[in-house]
Amino acid sequence: MAKVTLNINNKDYPMEADPQMPLLWAIRDLAGLKGTKYGCGVAQCGACVVHLDGEAVRSCVTKVSRAAGKKVVTIEGLSETNSHPVQKAWQEIDVPQCGYCHSGQIMSAAVLLREKPNPTDQDIDDAMAGNICRCGTYLRIRKAIHTAAEMQKKTAAKS
Amino acid sequence: MNKDNTALNRRSFLKASILSGGGMLLTVSWLSGFKSADEAEALNVPEQWARLNGYIHIMPDNKVKLICPNPEFGQNVMTSLPMMLAEELDADWKNVTVEMGPHDPAKLGAQFTGGSNSVRMYWKPLREAGAAARQMLREAAAQTWNVPVGEVTTKAGVLSHPSGKSAKYGEMASKAAKVSVPKELQLKAPKDFTIVRKSKKNVEIQKITSGKPLFGLDYSVDGMLIAMIQHPPAFGMKLKSFDAAETMKMPGIKDVFSVKLYEDGFEQGGFDTRTFNELLVVVGENTWAVMNGRKKLVVDWEAAGDIKDTIGGRGGKREVIVPGALESTTSQMQQMQEYAAKPAQQLRKDGDPESAFNNAAQVIERTYNGPFLAHNCMEPMNFFAHVTDEKALLAGPLQAPGWTEPTLSKLLNLPADKIEIQMTRMGGGFGRRAYGHYLYEAALISRKVKAPVKLMYTREDDMTYGIYRPMYTATYRAALDTNKNLIAFHVRGGGIPEHAIHANRFPAGAVDHYLAEGWQIPSNITIGAFRAPRSNFNAAAEQSFLDEVAEAAGKDPIEFRLELLKRAKENPVGKNNEYDADRYAGVLKLVRDKSNWNKPGNEKYNRGVAAYFCHNSYAAHVVDMVTRDGQPYVERVYSAMDCGIVINPDAATNMVQGAVVDGIGNAFYGALTHKDGAAQQTNFSNYRMIRINEAPKSIEVHFVQNDLDPTGLGEPPFPPVFGAVANALYKNKGKRFYNQPFMGEMDKAI
Amino acid sequence: MKQDPETRRGSFLSIKTAVVLSIFLIAAGASAFRNDNVPPEEVKISMIDRDSIESVKAFETVYKTLMSPRCMNCHPAGDVPLLGDDSHLHTMGPKRGVDGKGVYAMKCSNCHQETNTPGLHTPPGNPDWHLPPAAMKMVFEGKSAHELAEQLVDKKKNGNKDIKKLIEHADDGLVLAGWNPGEGRTLPPVTHAEFKKAWITWLKTGAYAPKK
Repeated sequence: MAKVTLNINNKDYPMEADPQMPLLWAIRDLAGLKGTKYGCGVAQCGACVVHLDGEAVRSCVTKVSRAAGKKVVTIEGLSETNSHPVQKAWQEIDVPQCGYCHSGQIMSAAVLLREKPNPTDQDIDDAMAGNICRCGTYLRIRKAIHTAAEMQKKTAAKS
Repeated sequence: MNKDNTALNRRSFLKASILSGGGMLLTVSWLSGFKSADEAEALNVPEQWARLNGYIHIMPDNKVKLICPNPEFGQNVMTSLPMMLAEELDADWKNVTVEMGPHDPAKLGAQFTGGSNSVRMYWKPLREAGAAARQMLREAAAQTWNVPVGEVTTKAGVLSHPSGKSAKYGEMASKAAKVSVPKELQLKAPKDFTIVRKSKKNVEIQKITSGKPLFGLDYSVDGMLIAMIQHPPAFGMKLKSFDAAETMKMPGIKDVFSVKLYEDGFEQGGFDTRTFNELLVVVGENTWAVMNGRKKLVVDWEAAGDIKDTIGGRGGKREVIVPGALESTTSQMQQMQEYAAKPAQQLRKDGDPESAFNNAAQVIERTYNGPFLAHNCMEPMNFFAHVTDEKALLAGPLQAPGWTEPTLSKLLNLPADKIEIQMTRMGGGFGRRAYGHYLYEAALISRKVKAPVKLMYTREDDMTYGIYRPMYTATYRAALDTNKNLIAFHVRGGGIPEHAIHANRFPAGAVDHYLAEGWQIPSNITIGAFRAPRSNFNAAAEQSFLDEVAEAAGKDPIEFRLELLKRAKENPVGKNNEYDADRYAGVLKLVRDKSNWNKPGNEKYNRGVAAYFCHNSYAAHVVDMVTRDGQPYVERVYSAMDCGIVINPDAATNMVQGAVVDGIGNAFYGALTHKDGAAQQTNFSNYRMIRINEAPKSIEVHFVQNDLDPTGLGEPPFPPVFGAVANALYKNKGKRFYNQPFMGEMDKAI
Repeated sequence: MKQDPETRRGSFLSIKTAVVLSIFLIAAGASAFRNDNVPPEEVKISMIDRDSIESVKAFETVYKTLMSPRCMNCHPAGDVPLLGDDSHLHTMGPKRGVDGKGVYAMKCSNCHQETNTPGLHTPPGNPDWHLPPAAMKMVFEGKSAHELAEQLVDKKKNGNKDIKKLIEHADDGLVLAGWNPGEGRTLPPVTHAEFKKAWITWLKTGAYAPKK
């Protein structure tokens, strides 16, 4: 056990944690933020994706020690008002079925859109193949990412 | 009006509906929730919710809160069921909020999510509940305005009278709550629907996209401990002894103990399947602590031997011997071959199949195999329990609270009214969460540690100790006469531990000489519902067999099926044919037309078609395959569905698209194999799941337009995907594939 | 110089290879080796002590090591790394990207940590986990011993590595990771010491490519 402070969604969370503890469990059990999901624990499914200094890391295999001193953003902190273009597109396209994997999907998609504002279907497949959706909403995920790209473009044009 | 009398009448009606309804578990007991609101309750409910019945709460500010009776696992019932209520209530959908109801069968009905039954079973009762509330609002307005009730109309949450008087629902709600429940109700004609048939967004979409704690694993209370179960390493093993000394030294570990789920002779309900009875439990402060603590356990396992279970439920009490062998897939395959050669149980026989086959010009015989499949719900099994000597609170992902509560009541020795079950949103279900063992486990653990506990399965726990789709095989034979007409059809199916044969389904009824037989091999590998478990195997095997028979007969596969269906419609063979030949043909014709089947412009695709009927709905798919990077890839799919009235079209489309993706994935990759009783696939690293790069580019979904009462979509679109994929694969590879998963067979072929 | 008639064609190509290396030697000059771990005399000897038979023999060990899953899996023919002892395509199909470090939400280090993640089927770790970059793919998969030998010493295909850098590369962190593969993964067919010895022997005896 060690004292560690995690900065999650721009807020400091001081905690007592085993430095080997996966960031996922620190976020869920210690910080109490339940939006980040456990799906496999071995970086196969992407349900646990969070942003660590902007990268879409899988928090189930990322140790707390790696996250200390860095900025962690979870689905709860992606936007203040549920209004990130990816969130809005997910709402508009009504993507989810069960919904469990979608915080991870959204967090992955947000990194894709930052790095590739106008992704092709191929870019989307390349970026999102690490996120399993057991309900099979992949076609809507593709559509929503295109929609988010459009929304992002419009917002950029206005500002 | 006499309030008491009305309520009494209503309750009597409820009784009658149960009696006439047959299957008790699925009978909706909604009307008991329909008791006329007593005034005290109406006045005392928090925030002045005016309670009109079990489902509908109308606020003075016109907000309408609707209670969803059935648990949500992604089939979108939390939106579609309230849409039915709101339709007849004539509510303004913009003002509607939806809440998941607790388990309360007296007020909310069967509350069973599964068997594609939610929409079908609640279609009438929810509309009646909505219509009753609307009628009561109209009565209240009529009394207030002193006009005949027949002159009061409603639209989008507003009551109006031709005189110009109008009031919003909220203004009349308290008064309406005092009005007696109407004795007669007028339901809308489909042409008058304003909410049903109009796409509505998932009522929880905002919560999902912002990561709100909706799921079982998210449920948390202060002081809650985490528990995990260390299962035996294989089916057929059990706990012998353990040493927890090292585990107890680990930080955050609270307790390690073993607990027996069912005592000897305990009468299990039909859905009380459990894999292991002696549970070795580790309890700790948080997930990571328990995960680490488990690793330090020193455990001796031993062969469980044959186990005698007592099963109650439908069909009466019976004793079942669960064999103790450590099974392997290879030995299971051998065993299936042996059984396939033995006489089987006759399930249906029409005509004289034996002589028809003997006299046939051509006989085609093919054998199909399918492996165990794991559900792999994205949210692994888990449940929250807080059990004390006096009462129990349980919360988590569960499809069938009504089947679970009676067993829990027996296990805890608590009356049902001391047990509260809350259903969280489920991270997938697919039939897996119809089995409540993990809830019982959580409850017993909580009682033992005297604390609120969350029992959690890791992905490995979830996958290696599942309630799988059974392992199936089936041998089909078809006899053609000299004119290439199908004159006899024979299926002999078997499985571990059940066969998949639905003897009264197509092509039964369409062939003069028909024989269906089944056999089964007992096993200790636990099995259960899996998105139409038998149908999804049948639709793969039968539909690719029919494709092969059509080819042998020199006929187009769709026309071949349509001819058979025409026969089944005009001159059906035998009785008890389960399907409606017109509706079956309807989806085939629709998918034929929409996909431009046999029309120019589709030459680049290897096309496969399949259709199936199960769980009261009809589905047909055309799958368009190409070769991409040397691999078969389903690029495009056309789907046609007949599920009667489509409640929420966009969500229904989503369901069908998802089923298609799921079907492609399972057809290509799905398999759970065993070696010496141990599951060989442990996580998504070796259980291959379909991913976005393997999903089609388009899945066009079309619904047959009719005004028939709606049926479900959870299961029906799924099974025929397997057959359509198999048939497209034949075109793609130039050879038939008989063993699922197809990718495995392809690897072997190379 | 020992010559085996059987390997004539290979020898011919090997000589070409040796010529390339000689050119490098002249260009680099002796000073380049002074602060190196490898004693300078060894390098000098290596370049003049050509021995096609010993070289080709040493390369057998090199080849079977490099073609083992622990090495080959990150030198795939396509743009997706390989996984497991059967070298199947990496689940979820992560793409190489320009720098070899993945793309978008699928960068190697999103899953692969600085050290191995404990447990079966978990991502192995290394601070520098990556594939060869897109401009220099250094493909092992599908290469014959002959092809691989040629490629390894071709600066246009080996990441511009001269012989000194090639020798150093035996101790590269990511190469060493092959011998620390994480739970449940088989090790390369020889120890790292044996591999390194064969590697240096091969390079020092003229880096001859086998006939096939």
